[in-house]
Order: sequence, then structure tokens, then C-alpha cells
Amino acid sequence: MKPRQLNALMAAAFAIFALGGCRSGSRGLNLPPHAMILRIAEVDDVPTLDPAAGYDTLSWTFEQAIFDTLVRYGEDNVELEPDLAASWESAPDAMTFTFHLRHDARFSNGRIVTSDDVRYGIERVLDPATRSKGMEYYRGIAGADEFAAHHAEHVSGIETPDAWTIRFHLSAPDPIFPHKLAMPFAAAVPREVVARWGDDFSHHVVGSGAFMLREWRGGQRIVIVLNPYYFAKGLPRLDAIVDSLGVDSELQWLRYEAGDLDLVAQIPPAEFPYVMKTPALARLVLRKTTVTTEYLGMNCQMPPFDDVRVRRALSYAIDRHKLVAILNGRGVPAHSPLPPNLPGFDPNLAGYSHDPARARALLEAAHLGAGFSFEIWMRADATVLMLGQSIQQDLAEAGVSAILKPVAWGPFLEAIRQPRTAPAFLYGWEADFPDPENVLGTLLSRTQWGSNNDSFYYNPEFEDLLGRAARETDFTKRYALYDQAQKIAIADAPWVFLYYPVIDVIRQPWVHDYVLNPMRPARFEQVWVSAHGG
Amino acid sequence: MKARRINRLEFVGGAMVLSLVIVAALAPLIAPHDPARAVAATFGDPAGPSLRFPLGTDQLGRDVLSRIIYGARISLIVGVAAMALTMLIGVAIGLVSGFFGGAVDFLLMRFTDVMLSLPFLLLAMALVAVLRPSLLSVLLVIGLVSWTQVARVVRAEALSMTARDFVLVARSLGAPAPRLIIRHVLPNVAPIIVVMAALGTSGTLLLEAALSFLGMGVPPPAPSWGRMVAEGTMYFRTAPWLAISPGVAIFYAVLGFNLLGYGVLGRRRAS
Amino acid sequence: MLTWLARRIVFGVAVLAGTTLITFLIAFVIPADPAVAMAGAKADPRTLAIIRHELGLDQPLYVQYARYVYRAAHGDLGRSYVRRENVSTLIASRFPATAILALCAMALSLILGIAMGAVAAAYRGRAADTALLVVSLALVSMPVFWLGTMLLIAGGLYLRTFPLGGFSGPLSLVLPTVTLALGSAGYYSRILHTNLIDAMDQDYIRTARGKGLSGARAMLKHAMANAMLPIVTIAGLDLASMFSGVVLTETVFDWPGIGRLAYEAVFNLDIPLIMGIVLFAALLIVAANIAVDLLYAWLDPRIRLEAAR
Repeated sequence: MKPRQLNALMAAAFAIFALGGCRSGSRGLNLPPHAMILRIAEVDDVPTLDPAAGYDTLSWTFEQAIFDTLVRYGEDNVELEPDLAASWESAPDAMTFTFHLRHDARFSNGRIVTSDDVRYGIERVLDPATRSKGMEYYRGIAGADEFAAHHAEHVSGIETPDAWTIRFHLSAPDPIFPHKLAMPFAAAVPREVVARWGDDFSHHVVGSGAFMLREWRGGQRIVIVLNPYYFAKGLPRLDAIVDSLGVDSELQWLRYEAGDLDLVAQIPPAEFPYVMKTPALARLVLRKTTVTTEYLGMNCQMPPFDDVRVRRALSYAIDRHKLVAILNGRGVPAHSPLPPNLPGFDPNLAGYSHDPARARALLEAAHLGAGFSFEIWMRADATVLMLGQSIQQDLAEAGVSAILKPVAWGPFLEAIRQPRTAPAFLYGWEADFPDPENVLGTLLSRTQWGSNNDSFYYNPEFEDLLGRAARETDFTKRYALYDQAQKIAIADAPWVFLYYPVIDVIRQPWVHDYVLNPMRPARFEQVWVSAHGG
Repeated sequence: MKARRINRLEFVGGAMVLSLVIVAALAPLIAPHDPARAVAATFGDPAGPSLRFPLGTDQLGRDVLSRIIYGARISLIVGVAAMALTMLIGVAIGLVSGFFGGAVDFLLMRFTDVMLSLPFLLLAMALVAVLRPSLLSVLLVIGLVSWTQVARVVRAEALSMTARDFVLVARSLGAPAPRLIIRHVLPNVAPIIVVMAALGTSGTLLLEAALSFLGMGVPPPAPSWGRMVAEGTMYFRTAPWLAISPGVAIFYAVLGFNLLGYGVLGRRRAS
Repeated sequence: MLTWLARRIVFGVAVLAGTTLITFLIAFVIPADPAVAMAGAKADPRTLAIIRHELGLDQPLYVQYARYVYRAAHGDLGRSYVRRENVSTLIASRFPATAILALCAMALSLILGIAMGAVAAAYRGRAADTALLVVSLALVSMPVFWLGTMLLIAGGLYLRTFPLGGFSGPLSLVLPTVTLALGSAGYYSRILHTNLIDAMDQDYIRTARGKGLSGARAMLKHAMANAMLPIVTIAGLDLASMFSGVVLTETVFDWPGIGRLAYEAVFNLDIPLIMGIVLFAALLIVAANIAVDLLYAWLDPRIRLEAAR
């Protein structure tokens, strides 16, 4: 290549470069000079902002900020509080729920939010063309199936007698239905915006929440700014949130140290011991035990796991404290199926201790003293693989040879739902609403074989308790029934309960009122930032 | 003088490869600890090099040096076996294409074109996803993806050999094709095959390391060097040796095969 | 000339068709139920069936293939299962980052490679030649992801000069470019060296030397042009394949390009995205092949004559 051609090439490259642009930080945003901005970062790109589509922490973080639902959870708890609905009533039979909307909620385009917008949001979720992952939760509404099959224009069970009232009729009693309306799936959505943007709605979302979308550059950054029409006066306190996307954990940490980032979620494992040993940093760390249970599921229909002694043996063989140590203490050893922050959790349940001798004795009793070999299926995720290897080591001590089988998410799910494919699997389940039904019922009921009960567990007494509890509207009695069910599940050991993950976030000293919630991403509307040099 | 320089390359490369083979073969005798078991309580907090653990221990308490030693086995097995498969497919297609020419050549070369236009790594990743990761699947996938270069080179050589007078005469006299290919074309193509085998192994080694790095190689706890680099990257601020040492191992192995290949190539060209 | 070009284009299209077929077959052997990928873990079988019907997955394979090819020809590569965006839009949005990286890396690697190869050939048989050979081989032997990680640690953590990944300005371009360029440089230097030595041994060069030109000048004036030709071909194809994403470098540096997108697609078994990227890559290579052939023909008069016949 001749020198002149080379020069031309370099010039062209820089031209593309300059034109293409690649801004980071707060440049190019046209915000007022003293705007209160929160700067955060994510490892991955946000999958979507469409409330009907999103079903992961990152999407929900923004959907919560941009959209409103009828009800929502408190700042740091799982009690329902009003959002779009100023008040609501549940009928004693738990089949009819009426919500009264506030009159002053507006979308960021200025339009008032009415009951029709809430209905539209839910119908969108039920429409198969949207392919929403939330369809499940609203199929209990009367007429949902007819609507989904395109036999009806609207869901008959959703009534909107006037602009400020919305009533739901269910096909079966469901005392926890209001919790399903606290999920971002049930957000109020302006139909005219969806009509305008169609499948690209996700990049042009308009909601009635505290913030509105200003900019979203795929893989680079997402910016939300305050919604001038938000109904809560004085909120949000922030003017804007700038989230840099695709930033590695380590880099986030370095930027935090340099004062360029205001929050870091999930401190990198390499830094964690150092942070916790440094008092100045440790006091800036917020921690919360999530409503997630990580467990090693065993297929109760596949030998040798059809023998409860073998399942109990594995429960004694695995060292949960070692797992938590590998995670730098970001977990709590688990002794029951329900996680700590879930209503119905019983701290007195002792579960299984780490007792290799007892494990071997149980295996002997089951005629497997010589050991056996089996596959553990898991997602091909770095952390999961590390934990899998630790489990492998523990089982080897007891004479059991575990073969790790990491696969992609899709094939993993398919495999564990087959009755005879995966003898054991590593899985974690995050509760979607604060009720034991979401864990015990969804994961261990006979009705969920081939769906979410991947252990293919069945115990008639347990099943009966589940059925009675699900219908019980007196919550004290309800939790008592679930507690009895839990004890049976622990004795039967379809899972080895491993740990409950703890999330941690470190903030800068100038970030205030950032609060973690056990069941939802933290909210931004009350967060504020004081003056700082960064 | 040139001949001596080239022999030096071959010698150094050969010595490196030989050392690798010896380490892999004698791993159980050389490695101080079990590569899959925790031998130190450094969970979540890797420890640096010490007398007992010359390369430190990783976040699961395992001895890094032992893992690197055993890792030689995986690299060699996958690298050599995949190369063998690549050679087998590539030589077969190249010979057939070059010898028969015409429609056969055309079709085979178009097929090779299609394979060449598919992105290498992406294809390998997708295939591993289909076949589910294991030593065998990684081996197969690498072999299936890498043969195109070999096929082209062998074809070129085969074409020129086939055009030689004595082969043309033999063909017209009715000698059976397979016999001709094996007795006349193949031996002349052999030296280039040897070179490609050496260079090919360095390629398959790199590809295996890349797949492991991306999490799509041989599953744990097998101490694949590529995955050790990936796992070590998580701790590169506090324990950089976790990522550095397996990389050096990969570099050493690949360089060894490259030097060997170039050495043989140089000797052939000099003659 | 025109018939030659037309033939090449027809072959190109045929190759692309073959590519779509192979990709499609692989995609449908991949054990990922897209309905599960879209509906998530918590969906029940009836929901999955509804989604499968909407995606047209209950149609026979050849119907699905035909639909795919038809849509692809019109630029519609479907929607990503995981991201819900148009595959074509996704690829287009990530392309600039990859393109910039590829162009810079190619430029640097050519400069370095040609320099190394030329110097090694000029000092043929001497210590510098051997030294450069070893350096080239060393560069080629280094795993890209390891080199990248080492540079990242050194430049980003210890020196703190360069950003730790991401695409945020000219400084962030340096480390990934160097990572990519070094390996290629080694490769090109070897090719140039071999070709230069071959060219220098040709008769007409010997004649020129006999006429009194010094070795180095003779090489530069006569051998270089010929030796560069294969480099052009290889570099062109290389560039095309780099444009379709350099997975390893982009993964190490968190570069928002197609390579990273491809890795995520395979990790998530996001079939439409995988197929879209593979097709895109194949298109680039086929186009590059034709372009390079044209360039070759234009540069080398002997081939032009041949084609004109």
C-alpha cells in the first residue's frame, strides 16, 4: 500500500470515527448546568423498556421509573401501597377486586391516565402477538383465554365502568391477585404511543412514572429525566439518571473510586474483601437478602434420587458455608425452601447441617456405600460453574461423583422439564410476589410437573396443604398451613437448599435515600445527590 | 548458514513440543496436588505464589501449578486430535478435488467456499451449543471447522502433481484412481501435510483456548488453559497471576508448534 | 470482462444460498425452544403453544426456510428472541464500532507487518532476519484474548492511562487496535517475507541487480509491487471477516460491536440473531472475494487479459 493511500485510509477512518460519535458521561445531553444527575452503569445492555416484555432486573429497574401500576410495594418492604390507584377493595370471596384511580396522574406527553389505559396495558400482556412473559399472571382473569384466542375484542373480566374505576373478575379465587397488579406487566400504557411505534415501542416508551426516557443508545447508554407531569409533587428529586451500558464490573469499580460513578451494584469479587475491611467504604455498602432460593434440585422420579435417603445424604454432604465463602459472604446459607424476606418464612426451621459422616451412613443404608455417578445440569454461567465445582468436591468426599453439565439457558430449561433427562440441576428461583404459594406451589406442586416442578416431587399430604392454603384468605392461617407444608418438604428433601443470595450496592457519600427492596429493583424517585467535586 | 538457522528453529520448536508431551504424559507424577480438589482454604480470595504453591491457589482453593500441568493434557489431546480430523477431511477433499478435477472439483470447491464464508468462531460456538460441551464435542467441532485451508493447499499440490506426465500416462492406461492417488500424488503432497499438521495444531490449540475462554470449551473441573484465563480475569486486580500463567502456557505450546512447522517448512524450501 | 464479473456474482449468490441452508439447518438442530426463550421459565405449556403458533414454528421446515429466505432477501432478518428488536437494526447499530476497530487494526497491522517483512527480507540470512522471524512467530502464537487481557491490565489498571474497556473515545480505541493488530502483523510479515524472497529470486530481479542496482533498491522497486499482490487479497478478505465481528477482542474490551453481539447471541441461543450475523458475515466475505478478484485483475495486467478472453 503506498503512503498516500495509507494517509487517505487513516483520514477516512477518523472521519467515520468523528461522525459516528461516541459520547459517554453526560456530554451532549442539554441538561441545565446545575442539574442533579445520578450516574450509574451496567454490565449488560438493557433488554427492553416495554413493560409487557421485560422480565429481568434491568428492564424492571427502568420500567418502574418510567411507568406506574395500580399498586406498588413500599420502599424497602413488600407491603402494597397505592400508586395509580388511590384506594381499592377486595371482595371476601377473593374473586372481585375494585380499584379507584387518582385523577391527576398523567403520561409524560401530558395526557391524563384513565382506567382504559390500565386495561389496555393488561390486554397487551395477554395478547399472544406481544409474546409477553407475564401472560401467566393474568390468565386467571375471566375471559382472558377467549381474548388470547382472538375470540373476543376485550377481556370480559376487566370492567371499566368509568374513567376512574377498574374492576377485575377472576375465574377462581386468588387472594394475592393485587400483588400481580404490582408487577410492571400491569403498567398503564398509552395506546396511541404503541399504535404509533408498533414493535419499536420499547425505544420510544411513554409512561406516567416519575421519569421519562430521554435517550437510549443501544450498548452505550440510557438516560432518563424527570417527568414534569408526575403526580407526586416534589418527586423525583433527581433531574436525570445517566446509565452507561456495557461497562465491566472492574471498570465500574475504578470509575467509582475516581468519583465518576455514584453507585456500583455488585462489587467485583476481587474487591469485595478489601471493601468490607475498610470502614470508610464498608459503611457505604447497602445489603439485602433477596427473595431468591438457590438450590440443587433432584429428580425424584429418577434413580437413585427416588430414594429419600439419597436426597438427604446429599443435603448433609454439601457445605453451604463454603459456598457462601466462595461468594465472599454474599449469601445466607439456606435451610428451608422459602427465603428470609418472604412472608411465611420460618427462621426456626433447621434444615440440614454439613455432616459428611451422616451422608455416608445414609448412602450405606440406601445400598450405595460404593458411591454412584450422576450429572448436574446447570446454566453456563461463571458463578454457577464455580459453585458447581465446590459441590462436586464435597460430593467426592462422600464417594459420589458429580459430572457438571453446563448448557445454555434455553436447552437447560427444556432439559429439566423432561421427566427423565436431568437427574439433578442447579437452579435459583426468585419469588415474584410475596407469598409462599409462589415458591412452594409453583415449584413443588404435582400440577407443575413438566412446567416448574422440575424435581417431579409429589407428596399427597403436601399437596393437600397447598390446596387449602392457596384458598385461605386469613393470612395467619394461610402461613401456618404453608409452614406445615414446608416441614414436609424439608423432610422429603427434593432439593438441597443451598443459599439465599445477598445483593450489595455501594454508594458515594453524596448519594442519599437510596434504599434496597428485597423483591424489586431499588426505586429512584426519592434519591437525591448533594454537591460534590466529582 | 541458512540451513543451520532453520535447523535451529526446528530444534527449538521440537524441544518445546516434546517438553509439552512429557509434561502431559507424566502429569500425575509431576503435579504436586490434585487439580480438582481444594488444597487451601482460599475460597473467594485467591492466594499468591508461595513455597508450597509455586503459582498460588485459585478462588476454589486449588493449586494453580497442578492445574496448568494437567491442562497440558487437554490442550494436547484436543489440539492433536482436532488437527488429525482437520487433516483427514482436508486432505481427502483436496486430493479428490485436485486429482479428478472437472465437476467434482467444482462442486467440492464451491462447498469449501460456503464453509469459508461462514464465520469460524461463530460456527464453532454454535456447534458446541448444539452438541453440548464435552471433550469430544469440542474436538469434533474444531476439526469440522478448520479443514478448508488444508483442502485448498492440498488441492493445489494435487493439481500440479496430477498434471505431470507420468500420472497422465498411468491414467490413460487405466490405472485405478485410488491407487494412483495413494502411490503417486500423496507421497509428494506428504511434506506439505507435515508442515500443515504442525501449524494446524497451533491453530487448533488457539481455537480450543478461545472456545474455553468464551465458556464453550471442555466443561469444568477440567483445567483447560483457556478457561483458566477467563476465570482468572475476574481477579486480575488482586491476583493477576491467575490469568497470566495459563496464558503463558498457551503461548508456549502454540509457539512450539509454530516454530516446528516453520522449521520444517524452511528446510523444505531450502531444498 | 462483464461476463466474468457476472459469473462471479452468480457464484456469490449461490454461495450465499448455500450458507443460508447450512445456517438454517444448524439453527433448527440447536436444542433451544424459542418459545421457552421468549416466554421465560415461568410460562406454562399452553402459553408456550400459543407463542409457538404465533412464531410459525408449527409449520414444516421447508416452509419456514422459504419464508426466511424470502424475508431475508427483502432485508428483514427477523426479530431477536431475547432483545425483541429487529435483527437488521441491531446489526446496523453495532456495525460502526466494529468497522472502526477493524479499519484501524488493519491499518496498523499492515504498517507493522510490511515493515517487518521488508526489513527481514532486506537483511536476508542475517541475525535481523532470524530475530524478526521469531518475533513474528511469537506474535502469531499469542492468544488474542490473553494479549488483550494483559494489555488491559497493564494499560488500564497499572498505568491508568487507558479506559478499562468500552468504546468511549480515541483513547479507548488504542488497546483493542493494538491487540488485534499485533497478531495480524506477525502473519502479514511472514507472507510478505516469503513473497519478497520468491520475487527477489526471480530472474528479472537478478538481471536488475546485475545491472548495478543495490540489493535493497532492486527489491523495493521491482519485487515489492509483485509481493504486495497476495497481501492485498488476503488483507481484503481479512478485513471483510473482521467487519463481521472480532469476537475475542470485543469480548475482552467490552467493545459494543458485532462480535460481542454474536457472542451474546450464541450464549443465549438467540437463533434469529445468530442467523442474521452469519448471513451478514457471509455476505461480506462473498462481496470481498469479488472485490478482491476485481482489484487483482486491475492490478495485474496478465489476469485482466485472461478475463477478457
